[in-house]
Amino acid sequence: MIENIHRIREEGRSLISSAPSPQELDHLRVHYLGKKGLLTGLLHQLKDLDNNRRREVGALLNQLKTDLESHFDHRQVELRRLEIEKELASSSPIDFTLPGRHFAGVGSLHPVTKVLEEIVAILRRVGFSVATGPEIELDFYNFEALNTPPDHPARDLQDTFYIEGPVLLRSHTSPVQIRAMKSRRPPMQIIAPGRVYRSDYDLTHTPMFHQVEGLLVDESVSLSDLKGVLHHLVKNLFGARPLRFRPSYFPFTEPSAEVDMQCIQCRGSGKDCRLCKNSGWLEIGGCGMVHPNVFKAVGYEPDRYTGFAFGMGIERIAMLKYGIDDLRSFFENDYRMLEQF
Amino acid sequence: MLLSLNWLRDYLVKNDVKIEPRELAEKLTMRGLAVASIARPSGGLDKVVVGRILRIEKHPNADRLQITKVITSDSPNAQELQIVCGAKNIAEGDTVPVALPGAMLPGDLSIKASAIRGVDSHGMLCSSKELGVADDHEGILQLPKSAVLGQPVSELLGHHGPDDVIFEFELTPNRGDCLSVMGLAREIAPLLDTKVREPKPGRFRNSAHRTSAIIKVEVDDPRCCPRYVARVIDSLKVTESPDWIKARLQSVGVRPINNIVDVTNFVMLEYGQPLHAFDLRRIESGCIRVAPCAESRDFTLLSGQNVRLEPGDILILDGDRPVALAGIMGGLNSQVEGDTTSIVLESAAFLATQIRRTARRLGLHTDSSKRFEKGTDILGVLDASERAAALLRDSHNANVYHPPIDTDEQPRKDATIALDMREVKKLIGLRQISPEGVIEVLEKIGISAHRKSVNILQVRVPTFRPDLLDSIDAIEEVARLVGYEHIPQTLPLSPATYDEWDESTMEFDFRAKQTLCSMGLRETIHYSFTSEENLSRYGLLQEQMIRVKNPISEEMKVMRTSLLPSLLQTYRYNLHRKQFDQRLFEVASIYLADDEQETRAKEVPYAAGVISGHVVPPGWMGKSEPVGFFDGKGIVENLLRQLTTVKVAYEQPRNSRLLHPNRSAVIKLGLREVGFVGEVHPFIRSHVLDTTEPVVVFELCLEALRKFQRTTVRYKVPSKFPSVEVDLAFLLDKAATSLSVAEAISLTGGSLLADVSVFDVYEGANIPSDKKSLGFRLTFLSPERTLQDAEVTTLRDRIVQAVSEKFGAQIRA
Repeated sequence: MIENIHRIREEGRSLISSAPSPQELDHLRVHYLGKKGLLTGLLHQLKDLDNNRRREVGALLNQLKTDLESHFDHRQVELRRLEIEKELASSSPIDFTLPGRHFAGVGSLHPVTKVLEEIVAILRRVGFSVATGPEIELDFYNFEALNTPPDHPARDLQDTFYIEGPVLLRSHTSPVQIRAMKSRRPPMQIIAPGRVYRSDYDLTHTPMFHQVEGLLVDESVSLSDLKGVLHHLVKNLFGARPLRFRPSYFPFTEPSAEVDMQCIQCRGSGKDCRLCKNSGWLEIGGCGMVHPNVFKAVGYEPDRYTGFAFGMGIERIAMLKYGIDDLRSFFENDYRMLEQF
Repeated sequence: MLLSLNWLRDYLVKNDVKIEPRELAEKLTMRGLAVASIARPSGGLDKVVVGRILRIEKHPNADRLQITKVITSDSPNAQELQIVCGAKNIAEGDTVPVALPGAMLPGDLSIKASAIRGVDSHGMLCSSKELGVADDHEGILQLPKSAVLGQPVSELLGHHGPDDVIFEFELTPNRGDCLSVMGLAREIAPLLDTKVREPKPGRFRNSAHRTSAIIKVEVDDPRCCPRYVARVIDSLKVTESPDWIKARLQSVGVRPINNIVDVTNFVMLEYGQPLHAFDLRRIESGCIRVAPCAESRDFTLLSGQNVRLEPGDILILDGDRPVALAGIMGGLNSQVEGDTTSIVLESAAFLATQIRRTARRLGLHTDSSKRFEKGTDILGVLDASERAAALLRDSHNANVYHPPIDTDEQPRKDATIALDMREVKKLIGLRQISPEGVIEVLEKIGISAHRKSVNILQVRVPTFRPDLLDSIDAIEEVARLVGYEHIPQTLPLSPATYDEWDESTMEFDFRAKQTLCSMGLRETIHYSFTSEENLSRYGLLQEQMIRVKNPISEEMKVMRTSLLPSLLQTYRYNLHRKQFDQRLFEVASIYLADDEQETRAKEVPYAAGVISGHVVPPGWMGKSEPVGFFDGKGIVENLLRQLTTVKVAYEQPRNSRLLHPNRSAVIKLGLREVGFVGEVHPFIRSHVLDTTEPVVVFELCLEALRKFQRTTVRYKVPSKFPSVEVDLAFLLDKAATSLSVAEAISLTGGSLLADVSVFDVYEGANIPSDKKSLGFRLTFLSPERTLQDAEVTTLRDRIVQAVSEKFGAQIRA
């Protein structure tokens, strides 16, 4: 009986794989798997076997059944493909040179693009220019030149995707600062928007998101200037509302600060507010004065120049601005979401 | 880092100072020590109330247990509770704490009604230990008889009782010093208008034996281990720690283990200095060596985990045998055991970068490694050792060998930083700050400073602040302590460098997005990576693909080589949500390997889109037809016209799995393929996209087009004279393209022929099966005069003749 099963398997496989038409495939299916098919016949014979053997042969028959079924399915798709190819081959191509149909309508920019363009526009009005840099970046620009040598504890804050050797997916837009400063002398006043990547995926993190970076370097730029520019930005994005600058730490700026905006939902009361988790404040970005070591890395004289840098997550701003509560929805691209912008 | 405010009080001179937790947390946050959460572990103690024992009965099934009948109210009809109790020190009439069902006791012990040895019990009578009141012994806590029945017990207990408040800090990596109660006390004391009181380990008299009489310490490379203090302690018995130590540890979530381990943990939390205890019996060579690992070898940690040591890892060796992975975790072979009576207590400083490297490689982020990685206090090494020794001596009568071995007996000089007041003012933008003001704020947190000259302050950096290296670090301290909220707001004098920057790339991509929007398309944004399978099903796998080395999942493994697979995934996602009329696009880079680049990759911007459903979404004005090839082509044409000055050619695609062989075209700019447009292959449509309707896709390489950017418009004055329209229909071979005919018409029509457009295409009945009919509308126009019928007729005839000759066409009536 076992030999029989093997024989049926081999023969079945080859017949199925070479079945020339869907009709023929259907015949074969009835022949093997139908109510009165070969397999049913074999299953009937099982009752004549003793327990051990029945289990063994039963298992083999089951295998045979799944095996044949998967061959049937595969061949069915294959035949469908051949059929489609055949139909296509018998018709001739359309005249591509005929003019296209032009329609107009109401389209929309992605909310991330909208916010990004808004930020860029606000900052360009006060003298910032847009600089760009690669997303596939070198460790040097992403970390080392930003005063974050290997084995620096701050690297833990940014779980990085690596490509090969020193090549990585930039974990922030800050490497654009380095590229810009290495290419030009001060004064410098740039913003760098773009995609960034971190190996983090949960309710509040996506492995890719967008940041915008700002950098201003001149002979007497101060922390108070940084406060002024960010106030200007937030006032234009959200309307006038209090900001607070909280001391923090980034390797490439010192002094450093986190920027919090008064909660737009509870207006700072912090009472039963899910949005700000009862704190009354919403974190919107990080900033600080460019660290002298960063100037050294790009060949600027740290005793002559000072500068500030800031960075913010675009999705975060878009969530606050439009009341989107799930970060991941930005990348799901649900049509019913896109239509709203 | 968790901080118990009750523990903190031990290090404040005014230890009964009133603390408003929220206010303090706020102040700390504004000083850069962010408090992420405030917890009151006694929260669950609300359900522990004052009760009175009315009667005590024997437990029928257990000699050691008693059944009590308790009331928690004075009311005459107060309900009696039956509670089983194991303690001996209770009597009828006692006033005791009763944990009612639903209470939560320290250590996450939740109280439920249950049956104990067959007798129902509706709560628990509590000992002081169970309530987390630190220093007490066995037995139920006796409350004053005057206590009001039903009152929460926590109200009766003072602030050293269970009403602790736990701050959870989210510290920045530069503040390793605040990974200790002492470190936090230094920051907090000035906020509460008090000072820090350092724990004073009792003085040691030189003992009969010095540690050096028993063991030796050798440090091979002082860079790896700048200081190592070893001390032998004997006459020990491994037992439980005193309650107050256990309570302190538990309050911040550290499980008590035994007196020796607990003391090392306690002092680590107190000083931020990790300690380790070796069983003296296991230091067989009598010599502790600190050395970098020479060659790879296996090692078993005291957690039981086997790790592979690699060259560079700093090891503590007994002769040649590793006994600890320095600064991270001790070894199983030398840990304190139940019968340990003598230990070597290690307190040391290790090279932060190497500890971090090893910890990271092995994924071993221990309480110890976390502190060493961020830098520890080199002076604190000895203090911590003495503190731990004193605790063992005082609580357990241990015999401490004094003095210990210290590899760093040179007196240390504090580092100094010269702080220039002019720089402080310039960088912070705070004009009013005085040198005296700076000195004052620094001294409050234990950093002394004095004035060296008019503008220069000399700042002495205490060893507990290894993060302060340069004047910029001192400036930051000043800014932080003054408070960022007191720094004014100004607007910079804009250096206005904008004309030096080429923003055209960004502008071009943005114009592409706007043009696509104007055609009713909706922008999407997708991850830059996708799965190999998602590319391969469309035949888009490429040799130049870039792979992420540490992807989160298979779905995010390769950098996109085309935008379409993600767009089609989104199409399908929306189709399943009954969105039939979709118009999607994305403008983003694709990524290709390129050895010419320093990053070995190039990023090429593309625009791509997916169109499905109807040309005009169905509504009351009737049904419109489904989208097809020419809708895609229309989008591409518009995009090219808006953005560029190029002319492209459309050709039949070859061997595409994605594209319909007869209803799609590749787009060519000269010889270079710059994109494609058309309907998706019917097989993909039915087997991947789950639809029977046409789906139109396009993709265009924006980088290739950018070179031909349309930068300006040349204006032509519209003619003041009337135009003449002529319609011509030709019967042509099917293979003849409309473009080639239109071109022939234009060529012959000359300058008076202003426009040629196709108004009709027909195949089928009344014409031969190998022929088609094309109808063209010709517009004749002169900028200078009204055209005469005769000249238009002449031109028309010439055109008919030319097309007939070139294409063997027949003019149709």
